Amino acid sequence: MTAVRDRLRRQPEGGREQEPKTGRQLGQHPATPYIFSAPAILAVTAILAFPVLAGIYESLFRAPELGRPEEWVGIQNYTDLFTDPDFWNSLYRSAIFVTGSLIVGTSLGLFFAFALFRAVGRLRFMRAATLAPYLISNVAAAVMFRIIFNGDLGVVNSFLGWFGIDGPAWLADRTWAMTVVIFTQVWTDLPLTILLLLGGLMTIDTSYLDAALVDGASAWQRARYLTIPLLAPQLVISTVWLSYSTLTGLGVVLALTGGGPLGSTEIMPMHMYNIAFRSLKFNEALALATFILVLNALLTLLYVKVARRFEVEI
Amino acid sequence: MATTSAGYPRHAVEPPIGRFGRLWRRALVGVPLFLLALWTFIPFLVTISVSLKSRVETFANLGLIPEDFTINAYREVLTDPTFTSAFFNSLVVGAGTAILTTIIGLPAAYAFARFNFRGRHLLLLFTLLPRLVPTIGILVPIYRLAVETNMLDRRITLVIVYTGMLAPLAVWLMVGFFQQIPRDIEEAADVDGANLWQRIRYIVLPLAAPALITIAVLAFREAWNEFTLVLVLTTTPETRTLPFALFKLGQSEGISNFPGEAAFAIITVLPFIFVYTRIEKYVVAGLTAGSSK
Repeated sequence: MTAVRDRLRRQPEGGREQEPKTGRQLGQHPATPYIFSAPAILAVTAILAFPVLAGIYESLFRAPELGRPEEWVGIQNYTDLFTDPDFWNSLYRSAIFVTGSLIVGTSLGLFFAFALFRAVGRLRFMRAATLAPYLISNVAAAVMFRIIFNGDLGVVNSFLGWFGIDGPAWLADRTWAMTVVIFTQVWTDLPLTILLLLGGLMTIDTSYLDAALVDGASAWQRARYLTIPLLAPQLVISTVWLSYSTLTGLGVVLALTGGGPLGSTEIMPMHMYNIAFRSLKFNEALALATFILVLNALLTLLYVKVARRFEVEI
Repeated sequence: MATTSAGYPRHAVEPPIGRFGRLWRRALVGVPLFLLALWTFIPFLVTISVSLKSRVETFANLGLIPEDFTINAYREVLTDPTFTSAFFNSLVVGAGTAILTTIIGLPAAYAFARFNFRGRHLLLLFTLLPRLVPTIGILVPIYRLAVETNMLDRRITLVIVYTGMLAPLAVWLMVGFFQQIPRDIEEAADVDGANLWQRIRYIVLPLAAPALITIAVLAFREAWNEFTLVLVLTTTPETRTLPFALFKLGQSEGISNFPGEAAFAIITVLPFIFVYTRIEKYVVAGLTAGSSK
């Protein structure tokens, strides 16, 4: 909300105080702004706002059999969901997926953001190149990682072979498939994380770092006690974003494993997809979708709350 | 990180400058960058390497350099009717989304940035807030809506859905952009008797070109890459886009055709990366704007 207000108030650099003029002052019909903004508002409402609200509402209905009209069933879709072991499996898999991606994504994001920050001369080129994984589809990324992690011909297993380790058939293995999914997801999401953290690093006032240098702080101490605390707002935003992306994202898992082998990567969105488009139980699927949306909102609140506790201003 | 101070007193400000010190410093910058390059490009390089091998060689030679260099896989993909129709669909849906998104985003952003009207804040909030809705939240409702309105399996449906999903981003980016164009230029034109249309045509549009390019590219990227909705909203090859065709290729039974899949993936990726390198600065600016306050 404040961000919206800020955006409307932003001044041109060096500009004088300006409030937009009314249509009438600029000689326009008073309806002009409404006509101008109507198509965008209509599109957003029809494609995003209305469907998501309708979906939440329709999760309270159910057709007694396929093809019959839907009847009000209250929260029965939810109680059925919560008594289904497949749901708890998907919640567990999502927990692993989100936590794993957050840990791998945040540590790699920080490391690479620091790396780029120090690459003064080559920054622009490197930053542009870093974005490459963001530009390709989840399916293309899945194809690439399926080749890399292939048990017989993948580079990962050849690499492990140098150390005498006999790598598993990653994607066919119930224990290891999730690892591949996490790395693929992090690989596609990392460019934005890096850009975000790099942006934060660039706004840090270097006089703090100079002062720390004069006082004899080591590189590690400077990172630990200065840079990372000063980077906290960006860390919170990237956490919120990565968590959103992994909790609600379906593309990577769908393209890479489809939830298999034996449900070991069947995260909640994948389970929802299966309920809807394999079992054709649309209303039950809507209940799960609603659950995911609520959980995502609660997690976001949690991150912000924890950040506040550590006195991070967001 | 902890090893960076190895060999030096704990509170050494900087490593001593000398031949070794200079080397050390360069390594400190160079090694992480090298790792970043590895992380980013290994998947591309391995995929390109596999795409240039024959099917037999993928299993026989695990090295990065193909021994029997062949572009057969590319030839197969390019002559495959599934690929050509998917490529065409992707182009149509991508271009349609890019055009429609800019067409509806531009006037809305202009109105929010330039006019003062009743409900301005509230309406902008209505436009931006749905950006937070994930695809998973609209997947089933949009599918059922498309079934009811007989819009399933049409390219225009994809264009409309993607446009709706991208409109918040487009408005957000362009409002910020218009705020930075000084109002004086338009006021001067107004004094000179230019009407609204003339001001938009001759002042706003030329100045807004970078923002329009950014939005068109981001919209095109989304339409080119989006997978989940294509899977749900299309039923025949006549409307399916590239990600779906690539997905189907991977699902086929029998021994995996790794060179074919790899070549397909590379072909879908390369044109866009090429376009991106031409206009990278706009895109990076567009992505970072709004990500931090």
